Amino acid sequence: MIEAKDIRAGYGDGADILTGISLSADRREIVTILGPNGCGKSTLLKTIAGYVRPRAGSITFGGTDVTAVPIHEKVRHHKVGYVPQTDNVFGTLTVAENILLGARQLAKTEKEKRFAALMDQYPALAGKKTRKASALSGGERQILSLARALIAGPEILLLDEPSAGLSPLMMHEVFDAIGAIRDSEGMCILMVEQNAFEALGIADRAYVLSLGQVAMTAKASDLLEDPAMRKLYLGGEVHAE
Amino acid sequence: MFDFFIHVASIACLYGVLALSLNLQAGFTGLVNFGLIALFGCGTYGAALASGMGWHPLLGLPAGIAMAALLGLFYARLGRKLSSDYWGIATLSIAEIIRISITNEQALTGGAQGISGLPLLFAGLKPYDGMARLALYVVVLALVWLFCQRLVKSAFGLSMKLMREEPQLARSLGYDLDRIRRVVMLVSSAIAAFAGFLYAHYLTFVGPDQLVSPETFLIWSMVIIGGVANNRGVIAGAFLMQFAMAYVPFIKDALELPTDFVAAARLIIVGGGLLAFLLWRPKGLFPEKVGGSNGR
Repeated sequence: MIEAKDIRAGYGDGADILTGISLSADRREIVTILGPNGCGKSTLLKTIAGYVRPRAGSITFGGTDVTAVPIHEKVRHHKVGYVPQTDNVFGTLTVAENILLGARQLAKTEKEKRFAALMDQYPALAGKKTRKASALSGGERQILSLARALIAGPEILLLDEPSAGLSPLMMHEVFDAIGAIRDSEGMCILMVEQNAFEALGIADRAYVLSLGQVAMTAKASDLLEDPAMRKLYLGGEVHAE
Repeated sequence: MFDFFIHVASIACLYGVLALSLNLQAGFTGLVNFGLIALFGCGTYGAALASGMGWHPLLGLPAGIAMAALLGLFYARLGRKLSSDYWGIATLSIAEIIRISITNEQALTGGAQGISGLPLLFAGLKPYDGMARLALYVVVLALVWLFCQRLVKSAFGLSMKLMREEPQLARSLGYDLDRIRRVVMLVSSAIAAFAGFLYAHYLTFVGPDQLVSPETFLIWSMVIIGGVANNRGVIAGAFLMQFAMAYVPFIKDALELPTDFVAAARLIIVGGGLLAFLLWRPKGLFPEKVGGSNGR
């Protein structure tokens, strides 16, 4: 579904942050991108999403070349949903208005049907749909931004640190919701995360980045059980059994 | 005194139209344009050039709007590469370059002397011509206000506000920010040029002194004092500021102050008014009504 080959990217005239990264992700799969701060995780996701144009390499979605396609066109024409890390809701709009922003291209009846389905799926939002999004907690905002991305029925979902700034309880709720999306909707989910153990708990595969390159790729379950990996990249001592 | 009131109200109406133009850019879309006066100047010089070339005076309007549209698109194009604050500085610089070029060009613009002798609207209706012009300006202001209201309450108006509030998030929802910027600049430039066209045929004179940057900041003070992103508010701000500045000489006479007081007091009204409102009432006299998918 997502195929990125030999991606080199950076900001402005600065040095390359990504120095030749290749990755892939399929339908019904959660692929997580892990690594220490500054390794290029978010830049990679932004490049795949279309915020940053790669300096070299290619990106395809379902076989279609989207290397130079900006984010707004990917969302409108390539069935992509993107959930940013922070500033992910419009605080002055209500919960319902926020969600419906993601459904601008749908017919009215389809929009209403999907909105009702999302309200059933996320009862915490249903109870607050007329409230301003600025009144929601961090976890509720993250769920709201997920729901907004889902209403258009994307085939690819890009998540930038969905657990950023959340309490452990809320983090579990958000990860449960992401896992449920993969299982029920069957979409391809690419997720950048800092909380490696939580992310590996729901992911199918993972790429571990270091200094703008892929240092390791493996099944999530294998990475979780690899003591060397835990020590090197995942803060293994903390969670060692 | 009545004629003076008519005069001040006429100018306030035209500034009100300009304030609505700036409000579309800065208030609703977050485009901090410090070069608005150059768009206004396209309208004034459009009128002057049409008159100077012997065209029908009304042809000055499309000429001015066409020039303003080109300049507005150039501003919008710059916005693709520059962040908000740098874009604001760039627009200020371009407006100054245009003013200095006009000052130093003689054949087309008349240089520092400007172009005079433009036809005065409704000149044949004396002694009621002033009231007729004011009536026209009120109608124009009302129509522009109505247009702006409909625009900002439309789906496109919502996209303008989303761009202002969270531009990166708006992009992730499929909004093309370059297109929004282009459309807003085109529409607001046409409105500013329209105000300039009417202004030129009101004063019957056009010159580069009308395009100095303090004029831009006067319009900014009207928007900030009236209420950013509130169309009714910015019109109120235009009238408040215009009348406050116009009546300064009367206060000077009443208090027997020196003539220098007038210029200084006007600067204080603009600068002090801006500062006071930014510090103590940043949302202006009529704050924006936030929220709502209908664009309010």
